[in-house]
Order: sequence, then structure tokens, then C-alpha cells
Amino acid sequence: MNRLAQEAVLAGLTRRLDKNGSWSGETHIQKVAYVLRELADVPFQFNFILYKHGPFSFELRDELSSMRADGFLERQPQLPYGPRILVTERGRNLEERFRRTMSTYGRKLDWVAERLAQKNVLELERLATALWVTRQHPRSRVDRRARTLSVIKPHVSREEALSSVHEIDALIREAESIS
Amino acid sequence: MELAGRIYDVVTREDNVTDEIREVVPTMANSREHSYWRSVVRLAALCHDTGHLPFSHAAEEALLPKGWDHERMTWEIIHSDVLGAVWKTMVPKPDPDHVGMLALGPRKIEKLRLDFAFSPWEGILAEIIVGDVFGADRIDYLLRDSLHSGVAYGRFDHNRLIDTLRVIPQPPREVGESVDSPGGEPALGCKRGGLESAEALLLARYFMFAQVYFHPTRLIYDAHLKDFLQAWLPEGKFRIGVQDHLGISDNEVLAAMASACNDPGAPGHDHAKRILTRKHFRVAQTRRPGDPAGAMRAMAEAAGKEFGEGNVRYGASPRRPEPPDFPVLDRDGRSVSSLSLSEVMARLPASRDEYVFVAPEIRKDARGWMNSRRDEIIKAANEGERD
Repeated sequence: MNRLAQEAVLAGLTRRLDKNGSWSGETHIQKVAYVLRELADVPFQFNFILYKHGPFSFELRDELSSMRADGFLERQPQLPYGPRILVTERGRNLEERFRRTMSTYGRKLDWVAERLAQKNVLELERLATALWVTRQHPRSRVDRRARTLSVIKPHVSREEALSSVHEIDALIREAESIS
Repeated sequence: MELAGRIYDVVTREDNVTDEIREVVPTMANSREHSYWRSVVRLAALCHDTGHLPFSHAAEEALLPKGWDHERMTWEIIHSDVLGAVWKTMVPKPDPDHVGMLALGPRKIEKLRLDFAFSPWEGILAEIIVGDVFGADRIDYLLRDSLHSGVAYGRFDHNRLIDTLRVIPQPPREVGESVDSPGGEPALGCKRGGLESAEALLLARYFMFAQVYFHPTRLIYDAHLKDFLQAWLPEGKFRIGVQDHLGISDNEVLAAMASACNDPGAPGHDHAKRILTRKHFRVAQTRRPGDPAGAMRAMAEAAGKEFGEGNVRYGASPRRPEPPDFPVLDRDGRSVSSLSLSEVMARLPASRDEYVFVAPEIRKDARGWMNSRRDEIIKAANEGERD
């Protein structure tokens, strides 16, 4: 997937998140893109690192910034909350130009948007971090992974961590049927 | 190092640490941990730029072997025997991985594909050094470069800014998150009283980027310098051994350039002459608002075919990052997004400056040729990118 094709996929993802009721801020896009790459084999070129609020990609941040500079995305302030990121007309045209790429990944984008768009930002952070922990410790039991999650993110309670690990396990199983 | 230490001292001072962030921030009450991290932050700040080649960032991609850049060089120096001998003498002894993580920060650790995760505290410490707004590196280079280049743009009230820095809970990001006590991790931010100083820093950076760091003349000097170094260096690359790296500086390169300029048979003579006699390439085209991505590159390629590739260069500033969104501790005690309080930050442009440069001897002809074919070339390039 070349750079512009990747930008078309990101525009498609952002548009679907918005359509399915997501706040669609940068953190939402970051976490959903991570899940998409890990579970649905969408070959984003970004690397993710465990940093603020879970898995985070500076390369993805740069890409979103570049898409804004090129007029594919716009940032809509929502005081007193964080800004939303929305696809512009130019961004929709980009999706049109990369119709073949979009038809390859469209079903996966639909799937992840339907599953995750309704989640709030804290739920997405926990879920993406649970996935990161699961990737680091694939053979660990649920309670161990939940403990690890609580250690690396002290503001996440044990109950929340357990719930997120269970949820990510279910999502991994479901993802196997679409990949 | 001095600025990083000052920021660390301000944000960990007992009366600046609230209950909401106490579990993340070690204060003097936990003196061993506090003094260890203070030492690591200062060392990381000191080591941050050690991996730079002569003339800093100029064209390092072309001048280092594949897979190497100045960040990797910094990482290697921190983990080398040279600094290992220093670490050994220190009490408490710093872990080189900690120094490296903070010196490079999460963005570069990600870029180098190093397998390290940042805890919330390590994330805050890295922000003290390499953060987009409050990083000591940024504060330091803006003030220093402003002084040495003789421009006023880079100045701002850094003392006021540092005094108002705090570790602050994350502001609410979406409807449903409590405005008074939102969830999420704390981050480095500033008190409401420091917001104007933060704005001044961001404006200073904006102006310094436009008028100094990515001024078109400086961009083309980078290109000529790269050409000279590729001709002068053995096999066109810098050596990556730590001792080799530490043994070459701007001074050796300047001396070689002066010598090559005076010797028509020397490798890199033409490039050295362009630099030292100010016969550098000139701007023939500039990206205009509304030009699609790739427009200037297409113009440069077309002009290269017409006038010879050696007479045309494409140059661009890197994308200016989006205005950073950091927490501000408002006067009523709430944590608020900087973008919701500062119109200045929200409106800083994110555009990229791009140019086509040509040799001064053909500038008039090349500019006329490009102006007459501009729309046609850009349209063809824009339509070509699809699948």
C-alpha cells in the first residue's frame, strides 16, 4: 500500500467512525487503527509504541497532520472537549481515486467501525492496551494480562482491566473470521 | 541540561504535585527515586544531540549507511564504552536504557523500532526533554539559534513558562468525560498564567522555521553541502563507529571545503565553490495555496528533463506539526485543553513550503518555462495518482 493509498484508507476509516457515532478525535483514530492493523491485517506502515493512553503511533500522527495540510481531513473544535477529525470533500475524492484499495479493505473498515465506534475514549484506550499486552504475552492467562495492564496503566482498575482483556480475546476470535 | 533540570525541579516540587497525580510523580518524599530520575533527565538532555553529524541535520539520510540516523548514533554513544566508563563512576549509576529512552523520546524510539514501552512517568520525563511544546531541547535551540543568527523571532519568556509548568490530569476529550475529573493519564502542561508564554514559544518556532531553519536559501545550502560531502567522504558516507563519529566536526568539513574550493581537481570542487562563493541555486517555483500534494516534485522532474537533472533541485521544509494539544490548569482548578483556550495555537498553519531550485545561470529561462507549463504539469501529476 503506497502512501496515498494508505491515506485513502485512513480517510475511509475516519469517515466510518464518524458515521457510526464515534467522537472521532485523534485518540479514537489511533486506537482503532492499531486494532485494525493487529487484528484485520490492514498493512499500515506505522509502528506503534506503548506510550500515552496505550499504543500510539507518531508516524500515524504525522500522517494525520499531513492529511490535514493537504486538505483531506479537517479538525473541528468542540469546546470544552478535544477536537474531532472529519473527512473533507477532498478526502472523499481521495477514497474515490483509490477505489480498488477501498474495495480491498472496505469490509474490514466496516467491521472495526461497527465494533468500536460507539466506545468512548477511555474504553478504547483500555481495549487497545489489552491488545498490546496480549501481543506481548500471547500465552498468558486472562488474570495475568489484566494485572500487567493495571501495572502499566495505574489509572485502570483491576475490574476494568479484566473486562478489557476478555473483550479483546472475543474480538481476536471474531477477527479471525474476517482476515 | 540546565533547563531540563529546572523543569524537573518545578514539576516535582512538593507543593506543585496534587493528589490526582501523586501516584505517578515521585517527589522529594521519595528521595532516592526522585534523585535518580533527576540525574537521568539531566544526562539525557546532555546526550540528546551527541549523535548529530557535522552541520546537524543536513542530509543525514544520504550520508549515513542504510538504517542509520543521528538518533541511532545517539543511542550507540549512550551505550558505548566511552560513556559506559562515565556511567560507572556515578552514584546512583544511571541505566543507559533509561538515559537513551529519555534522550530520544518515544517518537524516535518508535522510529528506531526499539522494543521499549514508556510508563506514564517516563512519558512525562521524555516530554521534559523532547516534548513538542515544553521540551528543554526546543526551548534551548530556539533561544540559542535566535541569538547566534541575530534574529529576534526565537525569543520568548522561557523563565515564566518554566515556572508555570505542571504535571496535569488529562482534560476531557469527548462528551461524557467529566469536565471536573476526567480519566486518562496526566501529562506535562502549564498553568493558565503560562499560556501566553507557551503561545510565544510556538510562534517563535513558527517564525524560526519559516525565516531560519527552512528558509529556501538555507534549504539549498543543505543540498549543496550534501553534494560536497558525498563527493569528499570516502564512499560518500560518514563512518558510524563511535570514535570515528566523535572525531569529525564542522571544523574538519569547513577546512576540507575551503581546500576543495581552491582546487579545481579536488572531489566536490563545484559544490564547495557554490557554497563559498555564494553561487547557490535559486528559487524558480514555490508551492502555492491550493496546489495538490506532489505538485512541486512533478515540476522539478519536468524541469530536470528540460534543463538537465544537475541544474534542478527539489527542496521542502518538513511538515510543520499540528498545534500541540496539552493540558492547561485553569484558574478554577480544572484541566482544560490548550486548543480550547488559545485561538493562536488553534490557528497556527500546518502547511509545508516546497520549492524548485535551479542553477543561477539558467534561472531566467527555467522560471519562464515552468511558469508557462505549470498548470499542465501539475494537472497531469495530480490525475496520475490513483489505483
